[in-house]
This record gives sequence, structure tokens and C-alpha cells, in this order.
Amino acid sequence: MSALEQAPGVRIRRGLVAPLALLILWELVARFQLANVHIVVPPWRVVQTALVHVADGSIFVDLAASLQRDLEGLVLGALVGVIAGALLGASRLVDRLVGPTFHAAKQVAVFAWIPLMSVWFGTGELAKVVFIALSAFYPVALNTEEGVRSIAREHLEVAKAFRLSRWSTVRTVLLPAAAPSIFAGLRLGLVYSWLGTIGAEYLLAPGRGIGNVMIAGRQRVAMDEVFLGIIVVGLVGFTLDTLAGRLEARALRWRPRST
Amino acid sequence: MVQMESPYKLPISSTAKPERLASRLLSRALRASLGLALPVVLLVVWSLACTHEWVPPQLLPAPDMVRDTFIDEVRSGDLWANVRISLERVIVGFAAGSAAGVALGAAMGLSRRLEDYVYPLFNVLSQVPVLAWVPLAMLFFGIGESLKFVFIAFAALLPVAVNTLRGFRGVPKTYMDVGATFQFTRRQYLGRVVLPAAVPAIFVGLRTGLTQAWLSLVTVELLASSEGLGFLVVWGRQLFQLDLVLVAIFAVGIVGLVLDKGLAIVESRFLRWKPAASRSSTGSAQ
Amino acid sequence: MSTPEIIQIRKVSKRYRVKSETLRVLDGLNLAVRQGEFLSIVGASGCGKSTLLRLLVGLERDYEGEIVVKGAPVTGTSLDRGLVFQEHRLFPWLTVEQNVAVALENSSLSPREKRQSVKEHIELVGLGAFAAAYPHQLSGGMAQRAAIARGLANRPSILLLDEPFGALDALTRTRLQNELQQIWQKEKVTMILVTHDVEEAVYLGDRVVVMEPRPGRIRKSFSVDVPHPRDRRDPVLKSINDDVRSEILGADAN
Repeated sequence: MSALEQAPGVRIRRGLVAPLALLILWELVARFQLANVHIVVPPWRVVQTALVHVADGSIFVDLAASLQRDLEGLVLGALVGVIAGALLGASRLVDRLVGPTFHAAKQVAVFAWIPLMSVWFGTGELAKVVFIALSAFYPVALNTEEGVRSIAREHLEVAKAFRLSRWSTVRTVLLPAAAPSIFAGLRLGLVYSWLGTIGAEYLLAPGRGIGNVMIAGRQRVAMDEVFLGIIVVGLVGFTLDTLAGRLEARALRWRPRST
Repeated sequence: MVQMESPYKLPISSTAKPERLASRLLSRALRASLGLALPVVLLVVWSLACTHEWVPPQLLPAPDMVRDTFIDEVRSGDLWANVRISLERVIVGFAAGSAAGVALGAAMGLSRRLEDYVYPLFNVLSQVPVLAWVPLAMLFFGIGESLKFVFIAFAALLPVAVNTLRGFRGVPKTYMDVGATFQFTRRQYLGRVVLPAAVPAIFVGLRTGLTQAWLSLVTVELLASSEGLGFLVVWGRQLFQLDLVLVAIFAVGIVGLVLDKGLAIVESRFLRWKPAASRSSTGSAQ
Repeated sequence: MSTPEIIQIRKVSKRYRVKSETLRVLDGLNLAVRQGEFLSIVGASGCGKSTLLRLLVGLERDYEGEIVVKGAPVTGTSLDRGLVFQEHRLFPWLTVEQNVAVALENSSLSPREKRQSVKEHIELVGLGAFAAAYPHQLSGGMAQRAAIARGLANRPSILLLDEPFGALDALTRTRLQNELQQIWQKEKVTMILVTHDVEEAVYLGDRVVVMEPRPGRIRKSFSVDVPHPRDRRDPVLKSINDDVRSEILGADAN
């Protein structure tokens, strides 16, 4: 087990083996038609398709449409989520009244709500945004609730001892103390809202978006389109999460590093 | 406005004994009835909305209609048939995916070499949300049972493997030292130290994996199925029978809850040694 | 009446490489320990006392010099040398009983003898009523007692204790010191205690060795010729306390 002393270069090289092997396997399968030739498309074709989409700008239109929905839904869901979570965490009364219903509704796998939404809100933008907001709502609300609830009593007592006003207490004690949890919730909300965006585009089909590109690709048995969609979805998800992480680190600079 | 203190804060003094059993039961009953207040209010508003037709009846079926549909579904066995199909799929898929996940995670945890080879790919793959693989999977597996199986297993495998790896790697060195002073063989290290220390993390992975598996099942059934709970939701939607849709949604929630709680019970048996506060409460939000 | 030496440490040095610098944690240490003795090692942090213990028990094998126990050089751990850590390090997933039994995993005793040993040692530390409890249910003092039971379960010739009471409150510490002294008198095991608490070192030890840091060396050795059981208020102990303290402060001043 002396791999611990391996130079980082060796570890990176090892990491590349599997993806490269897969790529080569893919190419071989496509070239020698070892699998269903209509489905398996050679890797370079995906690149070609990608370039085509970039050239005619369609990929950007789709991406913009998806991101716009995502953002709208996220903002809506996160706003409602933070407020709901804060109320639940701060007030015993609210928790006792609303809590059981809140936690019960949480049990329903979120995508199951979509058909219902398609009746209430149609299949247009509104339905999609509402659904994305719902996807973001629960992670944000739950984490906010936990963050607000677990604010150490000691901090509140200090505020009281120094006779801080309500508003001052909220600003200088509550928000910073709950901030780490709220940010954790927001990051999760970001992940889930992107997931919800794709899901909404699958299930509430008409419109433009990355999800739609993938569904259309599947219907036309165009694996290159589908795969392109997968790559874009993964890249966007990764980028969003990384950005959120940076933002979080900056906002929470005062926190000691945990192991 | 954020309330700091609530007039309904029931006193929980740890040193004072409750005067009588009766008063303790009363406070518990009070708490429970508070929780029911909101659902009752919603129910009342719902009934009123229907009887006064504030909303067209196609959009909002009456509560008693939903109740009747529920009873019909149960009586006819239709609900159970669909629940059973969904349950079978999720259990088989979850079992396969989590077994593979634990094996993979353990293997990576024990061999840095293997981890070096496999984990980066894993990492890249997990950047792509599970849902994004559906169209591709449909191309290869069609819309039959194999699609569901593969998808659910895959959805479970990722979190289980990652958490298992973390569990194996996170064994405190201090415990290994203790084993060293007692001349532990490699086998003893694995069985007496590493594995027990990794169990809590493995369970975190399993609970997340189960939640993900159930979520994926429902999604796949919504997209491509002719039976199961997800299908029931779509079917009701297509027939514009929202009462059926609501019944199916309710069933989705109940089954999800039962699955999670069931796993939680298994977890608590394995983790009897942990102080109650530090056990994981529920699976991830969704 | 000189009892045989059970441990001989000759010219022991240990170096660590940090980036491009060499840190000498121990430098040319010479020390002998007699059988049945209670040796206390005191010093400020960084003087290498914990490292010395780890070398003695065999957890670290990379050093210069000789460490000989019962005539044989130390090449690794052994059931004949027990160790009690500062954090009790009980396995949280095992009960007290099972934790003590861990010590006997690789012992050559029969299952019945093992059970007997576990029972005896749990009683020895006064945890008989808690044999089936999990570590999280125990207080800090009780958990450390369990760790001592575990350290003694193999009836080792030597028990090493690395700041065992450091994490406990003062009252519990005092109580456990008394108990440790009683156990030592009863079991007659050679004990080596590492601590930064001077009073503890002098109260418990037949001999107190003062170490100084950077590099780790033995500065001075004090004999504590007070018969057991001891009284903390004994003026002889107090004067030795003062001597040891000024020795340590002198080391600081360097």
C-alpha cells in the first residue's frame, strides 16, 4: 500500500486509463459495427454534431432557454424556501402547525407532481418554472430550517445581554450563524433545480432546451445529439456547482476549516 | 416576522417530573392536534372550493371523489398491483446497485491503486445528473424492464459507492494504532476495525441510494411505462381523471416513506452503539 | 536489593524530515528501567516523550540506537507491552467487555481463560456494572478505566501510559491517579507514565525523569523514595515537586 508515496503524476496517469479505454472501445464498436449500427455512433460524429450546433447557434439558444428557466425557478424556489425554512426553524408554533404537512409532502418524489402541474399550469414556461422552483424549494427550506434552529442559544443570549435590537440581532447574529446551512441548502437547491430543469423539459416537452435536444435526439435515434446533450448537462452542472462553491467560500470566509 | 419565542412553547424541564401522566398525555395530544390543524384547514378550503366551483371541477376534483377513487382502487386491487410492480422494480434494482456499490467502494477503499484507476471516471460520471442518462439508456435498452433495472441500479450505485469509499478511507488512524498494539493481522484490521468503522458511512450511502432509486423509478415510469405507480399518474392525467392522479401521488409518497423508514430501522439495529443524536435522520431531501 | 533491569534504552535517536529540514525529536537517549518500577516522564510539549513511548511499544520502528526489553531488542509491538493512550480509543461499536476482549484476540489463552481475564480486569478497574455498556454511555473517567483494563488484560510485563488523564477534569484525574497507584501495587506491573502534570508524576513515580525539547534529551532524573501508599500532602513530595518544576522551567529558559 505504498501507493501513498506515488508521485501525483502516476496517479493522474492511472486516472486517465479508464476513460481512454472506454473511448477506444467505443470507437472500435462503432467502426466494426459490433453493436446496433443505427444506435452506436462513432465518437468523432459527436464532435461533428457539436460543431454544427455551435456553428448555427442552436446550442446556445437551447442552453440559454434551459438556463433561464433554471434561474427563474431557482430564485423563486430558493426565496420561498429560505423564508419557509427560517419560519419553521425559528418559531415552535409554526413548526408544530406547518411542520407535519411540510415533511409529509416532502415524501412525494418530486417528479410525480409534474403531470398534475401540466393540468394546472399547462405545458408552457409557467409549469416548468413552477416545477423547477419546487425542486429547489425543499433542499433550501430543510437546510435553512436546520441552520436557524440550531443557532446556539449562547449566541442569542449574548445578543440579549448587550440589548441588541431585533433587527440588529437578526443581522449580526442570526444570519451569519445560519449562513453556512443556508448556503449548503442553496448549493443543493442549485443541483436539484438543474436536475428539475432537465426533467421538466423531458416531461413537459414543447419548447427549446437541452432536455428537449436529448428527447428529440432519442426520438430520431440520433445518439450523437443525445450524447451531446449529456455532455452539456454535465458541464453546466459542474460549472454551476463550482461557481456556487467559490461564492460560498467567499461569503463564509470567517469559518474555520473543518477537517 | 421571525418569532423568537412562541407562546405555545410547551415547557420541557428535564429535572422536574410531570405532575401526572394525564397532563403529559394532554400536552402530547395538544401537540398532535396542532399538527393536524393545517391539513384540516386545507381540506375544508378544498371542499369549499369544489362545492362553490371557485375552480373548474376538471382542475380540482372534490375530496370525497378522491376518497371514493382511492377506495375503488384499493378494492379492485388495481392500486396494489401497481404498487407491487413499482416496489419489485425498486427493490431489485436497489439491491443490485447497492451491492455493486458497496463492493466497488470497498475495493477502492482498500486499494489505492484501484481507486486511482476507477475513481476519476466515477467522478466525471457523477457530474452528470442521473436523469440525463435516460434518453441514452432508452436508446440502448428500449422502454422495457431492463431499462428500469439498469437505471435504478445505476442511480443507487453512485451514492453507495462514493459513501462506502469515504467510510473505508475515513477510519481514524488512532483505531489502527490500537490494533497494532494487539498484533492485529491484516484480516483482523479489516474485520475488527475498518469494516465496523465504515458501517455508518455505508448506511448514509444506502439511504441516499434508496431515495435516489425511488426517485429514478418514478421518473422512468412517468416517461416510459405501461404499469407501476408512475404510469398510474400519467394514465390518470391522460384520462383527465385528476382524482386518480392524486391517489397515485399519495401512494408514491407513502411507499417512499415506508421504504425510507424501513431502511432507517435496519440502520438503527446496526448502529445500536451510536449515540442517538448522531445517526442520520432522513435520506436526502428528495 | 537491586531488581533486574527490564528495559534498556541506549543512545536512541529519532529524526523526522520536514520539507528539507531535519527535526531531531530524540537525541542520544539513555535510560534503564527496573522491573516493577513506576517511572514517570515529564516535560513540556515537544520534548519527545510520546515518541519515546511509541518506540518502546513498537508502533514506530525507525530509529537509531538500541531498545532492549527483557533481553531482546524491540522490533515491533508485543502483547507483553501494553499501551494506554490519552484519548481512550475504545472502539465505539463494541461494549466495554468486548473492548477489553479485543486485547486478547491474538493471545494464546483458551476461550475460558480469556473470559476470565476480561472479567477480572473489568472488576479491577471498578466497571463491573458497566460491562455491557457502549463507550458513548460512559463518562470520560470510566472510558479511560476501560482502556486501562484493556491495557492490562494480557497481563503484560510493561504498561505504558501516554498522558492517560490529560483529557479529564481535575477531580476525576485525582481519583484515577489513586486507582492507578492501587492497581500498580496490586498487579506489580512495570509502569511508565508520560505526563506534563508534575504533581501526578511525582505522586505516582518511584523515579521522575525530566525531558527537555529540541532536541529531546533527558535532562535530569529524580528519585522519589517515599513508601506507598502515599499522601499528597507529604512535604517530601512537595519539595520534589518544586525541584522538578524548577528543572523544567530551567529547560524552558534555555
